[in-house]
Amino acid sequence: MSEKIYGWLLRLYPSEFRERHGEEALQLFRDRARQETGFSRKLRLWLDLFADLVISLPREYVRRQPVLVGATVYRRSDGLPSFFMLAERLPRLEALFSGCVLSVSALIIFSILLGHAGNARYATLPAASGPSHADSTDSSQQLSQPQINAASNPSTTAANLAIVERKRIIDAAVANLRAHYVDPELAQRMGDALIAHEQHGDYDAVPNAPLASLLTLHMRAVSHDLHLVMVYSDSPLPDQPHAPTSEELAHYRSAMQHAHCTLESVVILPHNIGYLKLDSFPELSVCQSSLVSAMDHLNNADAIIFDLRDNRGGAPETVMFLASYLFNHPEFMYNPRENTTAHNWTRSPIPGNKLADKPAYILTSPSTFSAAEHFSFDLQMLKRATLVGETTGGANHSGVWYRLDDHFGMGIPEAQPINPFSRADWAETGVHPDVLVKPADALQTAQKLAWSNIRKR
Amino acid sequence: MPKRKLDPLPFAAFQILLSLVDEDLHGYAIMRQVQAQTDGRMRLGPGTLYSSIQTLLEAKLIDEVGQREDAKLGPARRRFYRLTAAGRKLIRSEAERLADLLRVARAKKVLRGEYV
Repeated sequence: MSEKIYGWLLRLYPSEFRERHGEEALQLFRDRARQETGFSRKLRLWLDLFADLVISLPREYVRRQPVLVGATVYRRSDGLPSFFMLAERLPRLEALFSGCVLSVSALIIFSILLGHAGNARYATLPAASGPSHADSTDSSQQLSQPQINAASNPSTTAANLAIVERKRIIDAAVANLRAHYVDPELAQRMGDALIAHEQHGDYDAVPNAPLASLLTLHMRAVSHDLHLVMVYSDSPLPDQPHAPTSEELAHYRSAMQHAHCTLESVVILPHNIGYLKLDSFPELSVCQSSLVSAMDHLNNADAIIFDLRDNRGGAPETVMFLASYLFNHPEFMYNPRENTTAHNWTRSPIPGNKLADKPAYILTSPSTFSAAEHFSFDLQMLKRATLVGETTGGANHSGVWYRLDDHFGMGIPEAQPINPFSRADWAETGVHPDVLVKPADALQTAQKLAWSNIRKR
Repeated sequence: MPKRKLDPLPFAAFQILLSLVDEDLHGYAIMRQVQAQTDGRMRLGPGTLYSSIQTLLEAKLIDEVGQREDAKLGPARRRFYRLTAAGRKLIRSEAERLADLLRVARAKKVLRGEYV
């Protein structure tokens, strides 16, 4: 028994000491214990051992330090890196002290934060369930009733809060549909459908992102309107967009001038083919002169290629303005975003323009979005341009954006423009090219097509 | 590797070196010998003993001479230590230093009677 105790005490020594002399020390203890019998001698033995421990332990640790410091610079001869544990090194007293202070303060701060956050979230619940409010008939009071009940049973709190949250989202969606959707009768039917699905329990236990998709599906099942959409975003959605301030416009103007109005390239290719690479449809008020000079530069070309493979979209006015160069009479351009007005006709003919009867090609890719799809779709439908590349992104954004809360929002079409074409627009499906090639090969293919077209004329 | 200072020679280390003058000893025997040399005043504990032995080994003042049994103590194998030439030289100089000290003390009439 006493040997076991001494064995434990020996563990207090640095490992190197234990490896080198541990067994010897234990042997010495055994010898002394065997030789020194009787109460007083045993007592003296233990007093000796403790005194020895007190004196020799610090000495051993102080002695270890330089050895380990030396060890860290040791390199293996074969060049492989080697690592050493410094576990035996006794930290400096100041380091131990500051470590203790840091840990204790971190613990205190953490518990204060924890307590504070907990109070902030649930502070209103006990008050609301107090007797002074018990007979209240206020409707908001009733709405919070499930939360109060839930507070007594923490395991169901989250579930009940989720139900309240979901009901709020669905109610907001129904209210927005009825207030804003272009067809009031359809809006009513869609709202009824959503409420019926909810009461049927179709949305129970559905996480947020799939819930948005499901709501979209159920709205479209009634209206067959692909422009209706419910969106869920993990990150908080920005506030309801506002009209740009003069400061923001000034910033946009300077950014666009800096980016040359996203006119990436304006050149005449071999065989007198004009090439215009445009990466957005910038605001006409800012970029009209740049676009005019670009089109003037290409005015004498025998064919024109619009490269929209990296075009993320922009202003419908700019779509109309550029399209004007391709006609010698005002042409109707379908725009699913706005009610049909006089602005739906191109400004053609443009004085001095020679491109109105020249072959036109548009390069597309899955990164071609929105206004660029508007340009591509209409010119394809009007058989004024040949689309070369891959199907476009399918971003229509024709609905007006309504923010329901920090994470849910919906797009609701408020206009019912006339679609003169036989097929639905590009919402969700994208615009399909006339010549399907990889976007990387689209320019070469279009050049060949243009050249053979030019030769025939 | 920096060595523990043996200058001045710690009392325990000096006693251990002295205990090895006549014969090679293992740890327990060193302890008993030191106890005898000091009339029982100094009982080296295992920690102090082996800490000192390690210092003396590193300073090459003593050597390890292998493990063997001690017939008086039973079958367990023990590690024996032997004084080196350097150790012997150090004992001599330390003893001379102490003798000088003693002479001064005597001259100052600090010591009386039977002291050498």
